Parts: sequence; structure tokens; C-alpha cells
Amino acid sequence: MKIKLLTATIMTAMALPITAHGEYSASDEITVLQGFKAGGGSDALAQLAQPYLSDILDVDFVNEYIPGATGGIAWTRLAKQSPNDGTVISITNTPMLMTNYIINEEMQYNVDELTPIANVITDPGVIVVGEDSPYDTVEDLFEAAEESPGTVTIGNSGVGGDDYFSTIMVERASGLKFEKVPFEGDGPSATAAMGGKIDASFNNVGIVYSQIQSGDLKPLAVLAEERLDMLPDVPTLKEKDIDVVAGSSRGYSAPADIPDEARQDLIEAFEELAEHEEFLQKAEDSAFNIDIVTGEDYEQMITDMESEYQDIWEEVEDDA
Amino acid sequence: MDLALILGGLTNVLSLTNISLVLLGTLLGLFVGAMPGLSATMALALLLPLTFTLEPATGLSMLAALYVGASYAGSIAAILLRTPGTPAAAATVMDGYPLSEQGQAGKALGISLFSSFFGGLMSGVALLTAAPLLGVMVLEFGPVELFAIAVLGMTIIGSLSQGSVVPGLLSGGLGLLVSTVGMDTTTGTPRMAFGNINLFSGIDFTVALIGLFSVPQALLLIEKTGSPSKVASAIKDRLVPKVSELKRLMPNILRSGCIGIATGLIPGTGGDTASWFAYNEAKRFSKDKASFGKGNIAGVAAPEAANNAVVGGALIPTIALGIPGSSSTAILLGALMVQGILPGPNLLTDHGEITFTLIWAVILANFALLVVGLMFTKLCVGVTRIPDGFVACAIITLCIIGSFAINNSFFDVGLMLAFGAFGYWMVKADISPAPMVIGLILGPVMEKSYKQSMLIGQDSFWVFLESPIATVLLLIALLSFLQATPFFRWIKSLFKMIRTQ
Repeated sequence: MKIKLLTATIMTAMALPITAHGEYSASDEITVLQGFKAGGGSDALAQLAQPYLSDILDVDFVNEYIPGATGGIAWTRLAKQSPNDGTVISITNTPMLMTNYIINEEMQYNVDELTPIANVITDPGVIVVGEDSPYDTVEDLFEAAEESPGTVTIGNSGVGGDDYFSTIMVERASGLKFEKVPFEGDGPSATAAMGGKIDASFNNVGIVYSQIQSGDLKPLAVLAEERLDMLPDVPTLKEKDIDVVAGSSRGYSAPADIPDEARQDLIEAFEELAEHEEFLQKAEDSAFNIDIVTGEDYEQMITDMESEYQDIWEEVEDDA
Repeated sequence: MDLALILGGLTNVLSLTNISLVLLGTLLGLFVGAMPGLSATMALALLLPLTFTLEPATGLSMLAALYVGASYAGSIAAILLRTPGTPAAAATVMDGYPLSEQGQAGKALGISLFSSFFGGLMSGVALLTAAPLLGVMVLEFGPVELFAIAVLGMTIIGSLSQGSVVPGLLSGGLGLLVSTVGMDTTTGTPRMAFGNINLFSGIDFTVALIGLFSVPQALLLIEKTGSPSKVASAIKDRLVPKVSELKRLMPNILRSGCIGIATGLIPGTGGDTASWFAYNEAKRFSKDKASFGKGNIAGVAAPEAANNAVVGGALIPTIALGIPGSSSTAILLGALMVQGILPGPNLLTDHGEITFTLIWAVILANFALLVVGLMFTKLCVGVTRIPDGFVACAIITLCIIGSFAINNSFFDVGLMLAFGAFGYWMVKADISPAPMVIGLILGPVMEKSYKQSMLIGQDSFWVFLESPIATVLLLIALLSFLQATPFFRWIKSLFKMIRTQ
């Protein structure tokens, strides 16, 4: 009786998205593999985008959470064990998708075994310090690092994450040396900066935006091509002659060799999403930085990142 | 704080639909919490999309009620079956199950329910009155302080091992050893994973816990079938505890509630840690230490008050800073985002009405817990009337479903069974699994925070003494450690000798 009730609960919960039938050529149901726990960042993307995609494509989305190995288990499943008929896709977080196997040789998949469909969100990197920090500008921070190399502590979301690599990229571009302190995720790294436990945190704008708004964190620089509309007063690192642009992106990919028609349907759906007013408004309200890049462009974005991070890792591997 | 916002939140909560959904949420929470392996986090994630269509106040109230319900219900199976329904209820097994064996399951469950209620209520009130104040305190806890907390927690192994020092330390050491499996956070490389991708992020603590407690219990029940059952077939004692008894337990419940709030507050520690801390302190302050582990009612009240107080505690950083204190509160934050609220330090001001709705919902949910919990628990007690053999099969089935559901992974089911076999051996060898559980919980916290502290402190141990909080915590740890060794007794007798002379 209890077990029946349990399965019933799970079934109803899984069948939640609005029922509809038809336009997507491959199937009327798409399984989305998620490499992280429910309630995390990629789940937030799923909850944001999938209701609209479901309308556009006339399909049901079924989220399957397979956390572990920083997404590696889900992506290995996508690359190696999922049917390539367009019924299974996965949320792919870059650069994590590539750094996973760049860092660990034991990780079996690589991006050649995937069909990138579309990137949806890019959360630009940002350097933040606590409100009581003596550093008011990025120059202050870098000067301190220059005076005593390796003593300025910089938090990141974990080895292999985008913030870890962007710290190294800044080190390479500026010739400075920081003490990199890995945390378990962006949140703890931001909290440590807020409490003055570390000198600065390399973080992401979407994560710390409201703490910046309230003044609990001071933003020193963003790691974007141009200044952000959300933070117009914060300079980019590029303005400071440090050519580092980095962030954490989330999109969707399918297994390799899915039918062309299915791939085309999916890509068109994301292109429609990019124009969807209601979706864009909702994303803006939640401080998501929409960056829809589809098809071959997304593929290019991934391969570019792969070679860039590969280079960096080869260089720093030994002293990591 | 704005009184209008507070009252606005209260009126939002006290509508008829709202109250009925709170009751439903509590019931769902009780069900999920009672099942080993099914966690509040999981149920919240499943329920979240359902709340999109509801009014913000209603949706949040329902989610909060589920969270509160699940935090209590873990103790039901812990007391009746020696299988903790949630990791936070592992400490409840220590005295809850012996009580059940003595035919006092009703009493234990009643005390557990009322302690949960008081613990939850305390944390709700703390949330309502002191959230901004306590929120600032969260920032004082960095890696250095977290390390000191983990060290303090480790001393619980000492007090749990009293009387059987070597098996206790062995069990604790094994827990620490197992906790080293998985990614090394400072190098990003997997350790002791044997190239198996399923082990890269370590062994899920809940998987190990289910195996260690539940499987051996099922096997023991099967062994016992045929022989007259020790568990009283009907609950003769009443569920609602006597007022005098509650009064006697009150200092314990209050202390445990405070421990729960504080532990929930600190990022990186939660209900699983809080319940052991509270259990340990209850034992330390008790005059009758020897009866702990053999069915002392205080050993049920303490962890249960603590793990429900964690709910409010974990919500404090969530509300005051916009930083979730646990994975469950992360989902509650997600629920706020769906309502178009960007969570941050402005939750109490700009979005005050909805935030106070959430806070009132937590308080209301505790009352709902008392009502629904009494009925639900009465039903659950029926389990003791079922023949042992059937119960054993049901436990094994639930273990398999539960361990699969955590990460949707069959590998975890195998891992759970392996821990089960090991746990069975531990029972036969008379080694308590409790110290191992402590090692498993605190091992990763201690290792990560130690490494971070070393990076922050430029490889100098002084970093721990530069922080007043860490220094005090480490001193308490040292005292606790000495208390568990003959050295302390020696000093004590020395004092006595001096006094008598």
C-alpha cells in the first residue's frame, strides 16, 4: 500500500508538465538528464525554460536527476548509453562539461560524442570582496598580490569549475600569483568573502547579484566583453588590460548522431525561445543572463572552450 | 522590522485553503520522512513544480509544512524498526529502539513528537524575531571555525565509545576512512574510486546509513522469527506524554533546540550533525549517563528537538542573506524565485510580506505536525503487530527503493547492500555503528575545512588560534576528549582527595 502510494507520488510528479502531443518529429516526450541535484543551477534553467519549450515543441519534458561526479555520470550516460533518436537530451554546463575529462583521465566521455543543441544562459564571472574589505578597486587587489605573491586568498566554486579556471587565466594574463581556495559551490565561496574569511571571491553575477545590490559584497570587475547592463558601474577586466572573458554557461545537448530533423526541430525551438518576450522577461526578473547560441555556433563555442581549458590545464597541472 | 509586514504574513497563512494545504503538506512530509532513503529535499523538489500554479503564500506554506513534517517523521521508523527514516534520525535509534523493545514505543514516539514540536516552534520563533541578527553570525563561520566544529563533533565518538573503547574507535576510524573516498577537493582528482565513475563524488552518506542500520535490523528480525517476539504486540502505553514528564525533559529540549538552531545556522552542518551534538550534550548533562543507549527517554527527546530546530536555523541564512543553509532550503529559495523574487538580503524588507508568510508557515506547520503527527504515528504503531518476517522483507524493499532514489543509481543499491552486510557483521561482533556514522558525517567537513584553513593561513596552525570562535570550540573539544580518558577521572579523584583532607 505504502509502496503503491509512493510510486503514485513519483508518477504524478514526473508527469507534471502540461500534456500535449505532436509537433516534435522524434517523439512526444523528451527526457532531460540532469547531472546535478534538484534545486541547483541546472534545475533552475530547466524550470525556467522547459515550460516554454514544451509549448513550442508540443512535447512533455521529463527531468531525470542523476547527480554525481560533477555532472559526469549524467553526461557519460548521455554520450554512451542514451538512444540517439532525439528522445533524450541533457543540460550541459560549460566549461564543466569539458574540464571534467580534461582534469580526470578516468572520465570516459568527450564532447565529440555529443550533439550540442543550444546554449541558453551565460553567467559572466565577477570578482567580489566583502563590504569591509580594504580593496575598493581591482587595482587595489592586484597591487596587494604583487606586493606579497601567493598570499592574497581567492575563493572559487571548486577545482575544475569556471571560477577556478578564470582565476588561473587572470594569473596568466597579469603575471600575479594568488592563493586559490576551493569551496563547494559558488554560494559558500561568496559567503566566505562576505565574512572576510578570504580576500576575494571569483564568482558569477547571477549568484551574487542581490548581495551586490544590498551592499554586502563589493564588485571589483566583471569578466565580460563589455560592461553589463545589470552592473553598469563595474569595469570589465578587459578595460584594465587583462584580456580574460569567462563565465559559466548552461545549455542543452543530445547524444551524437541524432536524426537531422530532430536536431533541426530542437534548434528552431531554441531560436524561437530567444525571441519569446514572456520568457525573456521572466529570465530578467530572476537575474539570468540569457545568451542563446544554437547549433554549429554552440558547437564552436564548446570546441573553442575545450582547447582553451586544455591548454591552461596542461600548463598548471603539475602545481595544482 | 515592520509590524504590518509581519501581520500581513500571518493573515496570508491563516486562510482556509492554506491551512488545509499545510495539513496535506505535513502528511506528505510525514510519509516521506518515515521512509528510509526518501528525503525532504527530494520531496520538496518533486512538489515544487506543483506549487507554481498556487498562490505564493499557499505554495510556500505547503513546502514549509512538508519540510517540517519530514524532519520529525524520520524518528518513527528509527524508534519502531531501528531504521532511521532520515539521516537526522540516526541518533534517535540509540535510545528509541531500546524503548520500543521494552514495550514503550508509544511513549518514545510521543516524546519524539512533542520534542520535535517544541524544537520546531523554538526555531520558528527565532526565525521570526532574530533572523537578521543571527544571519550576521553566519558570516563569522568560515573554514577555520567549521574545522573546530568538526573536531568538537569528533569527540562525540569518545563519549559513544565509553565502555567499549577499542570497538568504538575502530568504528569511528572506519567511518573516517570511508569518507575519504571520492574527489579530493583541492586537487580535483578522485581518490580510492578505483576508476569507477560512481565513486568519483564519494559514497553518499545516506546510502551508507541505510545499509548500516536497516539491513542488519531486517536480518536480525528474520533470525528472530519463530521465537516469541520481544516487541510488545500492542502499544499499551499512551502516545501523549504526561505533563510532568515533559516538564522534566524541558531543559533538555530547550538546550537541544538551541543546538539545533545553531547547527542549522552554520553553513555546512545540518540535522544529521545537530542530532548527535544534542544527544551527546543530553548525556553529558544527565545524572544517569549509564542508562543512555539502553532506553533513556532523554536520548530520544534531545536529537528530535534538535533536528526539527534545524529547519528554522537553516532558514535564517536563507532569509537574512539569501544564501541557503541546506539543500532543502535551497529548494525553498527556488520556490521564491519562481514567484518572481530574486532572493537576497532584501528578502525581509522588499519582499517582507512573502518572507513573513514563509516564517509563519513554518510556525503553523509545527502545530499541524502535532495534530497530523499524532494520528499518523498511531497508524504507524500498527507496524509492531505485523509478524517480524514480513516487516523484515518490507524493510529490505524500502532500503532498495530508498537507496536507488537518492541518485537514481543502481550502483548505490549495491553499495547499500554491501554496507548492510558489513553492518550485520558489526552487530555480530558487537561494534556499534554510531561512531562510524559520526565519522562519515564529519569526515568530509573536517577534511575540506582543514585544507581550506591551511590555504587561508599559509600552512600555519596558528590560523586556528587567531579565531576566537575556533579557539573556544577547540578548547571545549579538548575538555571533552579528556573527559573520555582515564586522565580526567584521575584529576577528579585528585581534587576529591584534596577536598577531603
